[in-house]
Amino acid sequence: MIPLAHGLVGRADLPIPEWLFGWAAAMVLVVSFVALAVLWPDPRLQREGWRPLPRGIGRLLASRPVEVACGAIGVLLLAVVVYSGLRGTQSSTANFAPTFIYVIFWVGLVPASVLLGDVFKAFNPWRAIGRAVGWVARGAARGELPAPLAYPRRLGRWPAVAGIFAFAAMELVASNGDRPENLAIATLVYSALTFVAMALYGVETWVERGEAFSVYFNLFARLSPIETRDGVVGLRKPLAGLPTVEPLPGTVPLLAVMIGSVTFDGAAEAPIWTGIAPDIARLFEDLGLSPQGALELTFLLGLIAAILIVYAFYRLGVVGARSVGGGFSVDRLAGAFVHTLVPIALAYVAAHYFTLLLFQGQAISFLASDPLGDGADLFGTADSQIDYGLIGANATWYWQVGFVVTGHVAALTLAHDRALAIYDDAGLAVRSQYWMLAVMVGFTSLALWLLSQANV
Amino acid sequence: MSRNQRIALVVAALVVAVVAFAVAQPGDGDGGGEERAAQTAPAETRTEPGGRTTPTGTQPRGRPQPEITRIRLRGGTVIGGPKRIRATTGDTVRIVVNADARDEIHLHGYDLYENAAPGRPARFVFRADIEGVFEVESHVAEDAGKDPLIGRLVVEPA
Repeated sequence: MIPLAHGLVGRADLPIPEWLFGWAAAMVLVVSFVALAVLWPDPRLQREGWRPLPRGIGRLLASRPVEVACGAIGVLLLAVVVYSGLRGTQSSTANFAPTFIYVIFWVGLVPASVLLGDVFKAFNPWRAIGRAVGWVARGAARGELPAPLAYPRRLGRWPAVAGIFAFAAMELVASNGDRPENLAIATLVYSALTFVAMALYGVETWVERGEAFSVYFNLFARLSPIETRDGVVGLRKPLAGLPTVEPLPGTVPLLAVMIGSVTFDGAAEAPIWTGIAPDIARLFEDLGLSPQGALELTFLLGLIAAILIVYAFYRLGVVGARSVGGGFSVDRLAGAFVHTLVPIALAYVAAHYFTLLLFQGQAISFLASDPLGDGADLFGTADSQIDYGLIGANATWYWQVGFVVTGHVAALTLAHDRALAIYDDAGLAVRSQYWMLAVMVGFTSLALWLLSQANV
Repeated sequence: MSRNQRIALVVAALVVAVVAFAVAQPGDGDGGGEERAAQTAPAETRTEPGGRTTPTGTQPRGRPQPEITRIRLRGGTVIGGPKRIRATTGDTVRIVVNADARDEIHLHGYDLYENAAPGRPARFVFRADIEGVFEVESHVAEDAGKDPLIGRLVVEPA
């Protein structure tokens, strides 16, 4: 087979051993049934209980100078990515751009968002540039700019769905998706689209609804106990930020893309996919495609299939939950529980990309000193190396299983709380939960199975 | 259900979880070792410490143990497909790559590079001290836009 993306890493995790797989799967069931019995009888998470950080620290952290500094760092990093992608070596492992985009940005910002809140909003280079341009334009126009167009409600989070899907396809499908030049061009195209959309609908509206990475990292940031509100950083109950996710159109598809793309990334290494992919690709070759085009089309179909399976499975659970009564439509229920998929998505990302971040993430140390791969040593770290001994196989397995089971517990908790909030009748709430529980157990089992399928 | 009953149920579940974990987890070198040996397909190669016994020294092997993994490249492809090289932490791994053209072989993770040429195979001898699955690649195939994968080194914990 022709190599696809992921040329970035020549290392893979060992599959979790059978006994740990069995134990974890059993735990998922035990946890689920215990949860049904012991979780609280009244909704608790529907109000956030936000409080500012004490002694003015909350105000300082979100103050204008800090905001400007963070935005400037974001813009600088965007410039470094584009410049090193276009001008640097085209070896994906020796150039700053691929590792920064696929590891530090795409994976690293997920734990950062969960722990520290919506950090990407602060560092978002497109938002920073958009706001700066708006500020300058207002000065030049001596007053208010014309109001932006009203954002169509039906559009919802669909632009973000398209953006995240395109990114996943670049990473997992395109055979040259890790080539620095291609990444730089993709970054420029995405930046241009973002600026046009910001000009049409307003910077903040686009950041909230359409800018794919803002929407993506913001969903994870809602798990965080830290949130900035009206220019003040404050604390809230963990998980309490998720019930406030508005079920705008496109939200369920967005979660399906998030979970489905990680599923495909894991399954692409599994015999179930490596067994059939060459046959499908040969079929397309017989139809006249080049070997590379046939393989890319095959992987694109695999990615779409994984996303559709995740979407269909969630819809199935919702249809089941509707059948217990309560008078809700399928769409209403699908939207009411969609936030419970965020911890599941987090578990998928954490378990699957844990070692990628831990090992390949270290590469940023020498890449920062030598972003173009031309022998520079800006910070004196160009000779540093990746320490693959940082964590052993056993510890990796325990962390991975820990992420999956913790995500499962968080999802159950959120679904339980939401059911209590929307059903008047406690009996209906519990019966609807059997269906959501089945969905959660299904997703968690799939995550564990993917961890047991690594190519050995 | 009262508050105490709830707490008791959670504690009971935790105890079950911990006991199940302790029971399921294989002890050092017994169940796990046999399982690994049984899983090893005939086509795979097991690299053993050259002449030495393993640190535990207790794992019985019921079949001959080839010491060196040989990979043959002809016209940029591996004869018999990419090889799987299995090892346990602490083993000494020996890999010899024969090629019919000049090539540079790269073992990822351990980051070892060796040159190969017709009649002068690339030889790797090293201690497997990093766990995981690592790709062995031909840089000539990579530069030609072909699949560079010629083998996978699988290092499992002892």
